[in-house]
Amino acid sequence: MEKKDIIQSFKDSLFTGLIALALFGPIVGLRTASKGEGLFITPQWGIVFLLVGLCILGRFLINLNSARKTEITFFSKFTSKFSAITEDKAKHFAITAILFAVVFPFLPFTDRYFMDVAIMILTYIMLGWGLNIVVGLAGLLDLGYVAFYAVGAYSYALIATTFGWSFWICLPLAGVFAAFFGILLGFPVLRLRGDYLAIVTLGFGEIIRIILINWYEVTNGPDGITGIPRPSFFGLPFKRSPDEGETSFHLFFNLEYSTMHRIIFLYYLILVLALITNYFTLKIRKLPVGRAWEALREDEIACKSLGVNPTNTKLTAFAIGAMFGGFAGSFFATRQAFISPESFTFIESAIIVAIVVLGGMGSQTGVVLASIFLIGITEMFRDLEQYRMIAFGGAMVLIMVFKPKGILANRKPTILMHGDKK
Amino acid sequence: MSNLLSVENLTMKFGGLTAIDDLSFDAKHNQITSIIGPNGAGKTTVFNCLTGFYKPTNGQMFLHKDDSKISLRKYTDFKIAYVAKVARTFQNIRLFPAMSVLENLLVAQHNELMVASGYSLFGLLNLKTYRDKEQLAVDKAKYWLDIIGLTHRADDNAGDLPYGDQRKLEIVRAMCIEPRLLCLDEPAAGLNPKESAELNKLLKFIKTEKQTGILLIEHDMSVVMGISDHVVVLNYGKKIFEGTADQTKNSKEVIEAYLGVDE
Repeated sequence: MEKKDIIQSFKDSLFTGLIALALFGPIVGLRTASKGEGLFITPQWGIVFLLVGLCILGRFLINLNSARKTEITFFSKFTSKFSAITEDKAKHFAITAILFAVVFPFLPFTDRYFMDVAIMILTYIMLGWGLNIVVGLAGLLDLGYVAFYAVGAYSYALIATTFGWSFWICLPLAGVFAAFFGILLGFPVLRLRGDYLAIVTLGFGEIIRIILINWYEVTNGPDGITGIPRPSFFGLPFKRSPDEGETSFHLFFNLEYSTMHRIIFLYYLILVLALITNYFTLKIRKLPVGRAWEALREDEIACKSLGVNPTNTKLTAFAIGAMFGGFAGSFFATRQAFISPESFTFIESAIIVAIVVLGGMGSQTGVVLASIFLIGITEMFRDLEQYRMIAFGGAMVLIMVFKPKGILANRKPTILMHGDKK
Repeated sequence: MSNLLSVENLTMKFGGLTAIDDLSFDAKHNQITSIIGPNGAGKTTVFNCLTGFYKPTNGQMFLHKDDSKISLRKYTDFKIAYVAKVARTFQNIRLFPAMSVLENLLVAQHNELMVASGYSLFGLLNLKTYRDKEQLAVDKAKYWLDIIGLTHRADDNAGDLPYGDQRKLEIVRAMCIEPRLLCLDEPAAGLNPKESAELNKLLKFIKTEKQTGILLIEHDMSVVMGISDHVVVLNYGKKIFEGTADQTKNSKEVIEAYLGVDE
């Protein structure tokens, strides 16, 4: 390497340090502390200089590295591992993953905490798969997907608490309601694409949340809905002491009562729901409507010139995507037994979109990997409390740096003329 | 030979600009009608009016079917291709680049396949009726791919094809909707002489074997003169000449429009 390069790298890293100083200076350097009768600022310049120094050093190393035109072995190992997971291998991965998911509750190290995290990840996988229809296939960037999740959750909660119908009746109803809202959103945004569509859908998500907060008579406002019935195992509730004339799950199967039964049941419930979503998406992708979605994503004007009705095609994408969001919402409501508008903020939409985009638009396996990666990493750093979102951001940055097109960006044709050559 | 398309007093204004000024011409069955003219003469605007992308300010466009005629003004948007069966290609190729060649051709058969799949219901149930229909659609795609010699690339992404092949693919994709009238917007743009010759062959094949009327916008005179049965020349939105290829070549007005007038 030439001397000029080193000087250039050094200059560049000093500039990085300057930016880091501007950022860390006020954020980390000035700390407010309350002492006695007011707030005082305690400077923490030591940490600032440490952080800035780290940034300069890191940037310098990266620069040196790229000047040498070779990658640091650690990074190249990391990326090659990820690029090794192509769609071809994805099938084996999928089968292994499903088998693992099925036996997961009975593995020796699985405890209550792991189960909760797994249920959460599965919920996000299902939402990711649902949104993948809208964003990945139809190419309609929907930043308000959480609205359908909320509609599903509230539909389930309201129907179940008002009429006392069972989970298995309320679930499809919640899906239908959510699909209806999907069409409702679909109509006004038919003409919009890209950024404009994203803004309107974002607004729609907020509208739903604000209605939930303010429509006190129906939604109980910010207090939320409590006492949402838990699902039963084909009529057998998960209760320690069942009501008169009822048999509960543990009595029927002659088991010791354990709260884990219900958790395991919920786990399998969301697993099945998610797999149904996946199966449905994989199927419909190969049907004319699925191909029309993808064609619409590629070129709307060409679609029109071929006689494809863009209105119907978009609306079905919105409706079906919303329906799966609604199913996931019902599950969320029955798992928590309590819902409030707070659970349906914009950050949820952002996380789901991040999962779809980072997973590789349109890739089903990518959604799984991105969910595990993003949610799992954020969970791993739970001890950091409010700083754990840094881990979330860090995970996003890592994916964007190493896989800018998403973890799995390969698209496989929906139909082959010459069969599978590879 | 009977008329396939009649354009009557077509006028299109964009604010103060008159892009097409009182244009009338006919295109006949089983003929290739070319629209030529200098840049900005309004050729593509005529296409956009015909294919429902613009609503003309004035005038009528009729497509003749047997003894009846249907007004293209009534149809907008996707219905031009779906109901009136007027297909078009674009000046800058508009394929679905991230989809395979075969998929591109299947999207063109969307409406039949949609019905065959019972609006997705039969398809989800994987009924035999749907699978048979899908096979027919694949066969049709294969038929066209054989003609343009792209069968071996059927499973590759359309965006990965060489430019000339993309042009041909866009034309056969339009043919997959079985149009009565095929409108081609500069199909020879960017093609080398060999590819232009192949294009001529393809268009002649479509004209004779498929009994489809073709409306062609083109700058490449080797294509226009080689295959056109009828030529309409536009300049500043007005028709300045109409006749056979040979007549056009020797027309004083046309030469003036292209090369200017001697002082």
